[in-house]
Amino acid sequence: MDQFIQLVVDGLGMGSVYAALGLAIVLVNQATGLINFAQGGMAVLAAYFTYAFIGWGLPLIVAILLSVIASFVLGAIIERFLMRRFEGGDPDTAVVATVGLLTLLTGLCGWIWSYNNQNFPSLFPAASFNLLGASVSWRSLGTFLVILVIMLLLQSLFKFSKLGLALRAVADNPASSALSGLPVGRLLMVGWGLAAALGAVAGALIAPRLTLTPGMMDSILVYSLAAVILGGMSSALGVVVAAWVIGVLENLAAVYVPWIGHDLKVAVPFVLLFIVLLVRPQGLFGRKSVVRV
Amino acid sequence: MPKTEFSPDLTATVTTPPLHRRTPWWVWAIGVAVAVILIVAPLMLPIPTNQMLARVGVFAVAVLGLNVIMGYAGQVSLGQIFFLGFGAYVTAYGVEQEWPILLTFLLAIVLPGVAGLVVAFAAARLGGLAIAMVTIALPIIGVPLAKRLSDLTGGSQGVSARFSGAPDGVPLADDQWQYYLVLLIGAITFVLVYNLTRGKFGRALAIVKENENVAKAMGISPYRYKVMAFTIAAMIGGVSGFLYMVVVQYTSPETLAFHHSINLLASMVVGGAGSIAGSILGGLYYVFVPNFTNEIAPTLTALIQGVILLVVLFVLPGGLASIPHRIRRVLRSRRATPSDSPSPSRT
Repeated sequence: MDQFIQLVVDGLGMGSVYAALGLAIVLVNQATGLINFAQGGMAVLAAYFTYAFIGWGLPLIVAILLSVIASFVLGAIIERFLMRRFEGGDPDTAVVATVGLLTLLTGLCGWIWSYNNQNFPSLFPAASFNLLGASVSWRSLGTFLVILVIMLLLQSLFKFSKLGLALRAVADNPASSALSGLPVGRLLMVGWGLAAALGAVAGALIAPRLTLTPGMMDSILVYSLAAVILGGMSSALGVVVAAWVIGVLENLAAVYVPWIGHDLKVAVPFVLLFIVLLVRPQGLFGRKSVVRV
Repeated sequence: MPKTEFSPDLTATVTTPPLHRRTPWWVWAIGVAVAVILIVAPLMLPIPTNQMLARVGVFAVAVLGLNVIMGYAGQVSLGQIFFLGFGAYVTAYGVEQEWPILLTFLLAIVLPGVAGLVVAFAAARLGGLAIAMVTIALPIIGVPLAKRLSDLTGGSQGVSARFSGAPDGVPLADDQWQYYLVLLIGAITFVLVYNLTRGKFGRALAIVKENENVAKAMGISPYRYKVMAFTIAAMIGGVSGFLYMVVVQYTSPETLAFHHSINLLASMVVGGAGSIAGSILGGLYYVFVPNFTNEIAPTLTALIQGVILLVVLFVLPGGLASIPHRIRRVLRSRRATPSDSPSPSRT
């Protein structure tokens, strides 16, 4: 039982990271209709920024905040100078462009900081504390809480602020938004920036566990995509819940299903996905979209 | 999605191809010329160059497979390398067990095909970019899976299969014979795909790619055609895997790595999506460019690959294969009234 609680809390911690990256993907998808496969690569670059800032002697929390801001700017720049050209065109081309961007960013990190694993400090103590007789690590709980707070902030931004309303309008109907005087281009930049900032947080929280490498986020991205499909592209809450479910399930499967073990954990969300897709093609929380011709 | 003035498209032609258009004479001429050159080449070239040429053949087939699902059916797939690796492993196992070579070959096509069918069966149910989102997992899952199934795959060590002597009368231990086998199977695959894409099936794929609702209205099920295209792509991936094993004779989990899949995608885009000639150019790109960048700047390789891919998407979305088409369009617009709008070519 103790082990079970520990696994669930750790799973929620990992799942929160998938949720953050998954939300970033949904954010961009809602605004532009694309899947940004470079979202993980951008998060890795952000983690390397943090790493560099720590190298200059800044405290960790300041370094993370700075890198989140830098990521916001970077995301906006990428939207304006790279993706703007592919928007409104053939979505396949735009998706391939994000794949090219992923290769470029991975290559950039490898070139500047080498492909070796770097140790990355954690915001939370490595110790554990006692919860109902089980030892739970501060890291998992901390990650979970940080992401939870960020999600609430995002939610309130979209629900209660003018900027959030404008962002939702652009995501819903870019043409009408432009006609009603919203600066669509700038709002798209903000959308990409927010997604990149979210990814930066995910990167900073996962780097201590995985150690920092240019390919660190590749598998995380795969989990996040699975969460996005499972949760249904149109539902932020669905994505978060799906990410937690995936995080917990993969942890349980790794320990309780001997054949899976820690190396094949990554197959768990896809087996789950497969089963769900056969039953509910629109995802767990998605709504069936009806197209009238 | 509103279409803006500038809408880059991965394919050079956006008109639905007419059914069974007669193949123009110059296509035949080029095809015959290329075939003759390729048949005579190994007799004049040193062995290492031969090996290089054979590799180009292998990856031209791999790019062709990706083209079926991406270039023709318009479904982004990021896991095509998985099917090549699968085919290679099946071949390795077959050679180890000393099965008849024909049986090994068939299994190397059928098993990846079944895997592709299963993946597409689930992924194609979701609209939009789901196929891209699911296929990215294939290499990510494939590598640990190949390590785990060490009884079949030799684990992290990989597995090498040497053809000893002449299985079934084909002296495959000989480099030249390997090359000719690649040439023969590659040519057959290319001709089959060429015919497939110009027939009813190809036209249905083009319509699905263009607009799924139109396809539905015409009684073409996008789901069915996506699954079929993906399965065919996986089978061709298996063919390329078999050939890979014939030429390289060694495979390891690294063969399935994610960056190879990205390289394959880049090769397809640079060569030209939705184009037969583009697949051959893509094979050339795959074999030579990463090697070349690796030699001049090993730490910069990935960065350069990414830059090349983005630059091609920016300036030449149709890839190298679309250059003649572009030149013709420029010439035509000069002769006719100067206008920027490309007239749909109906030659």
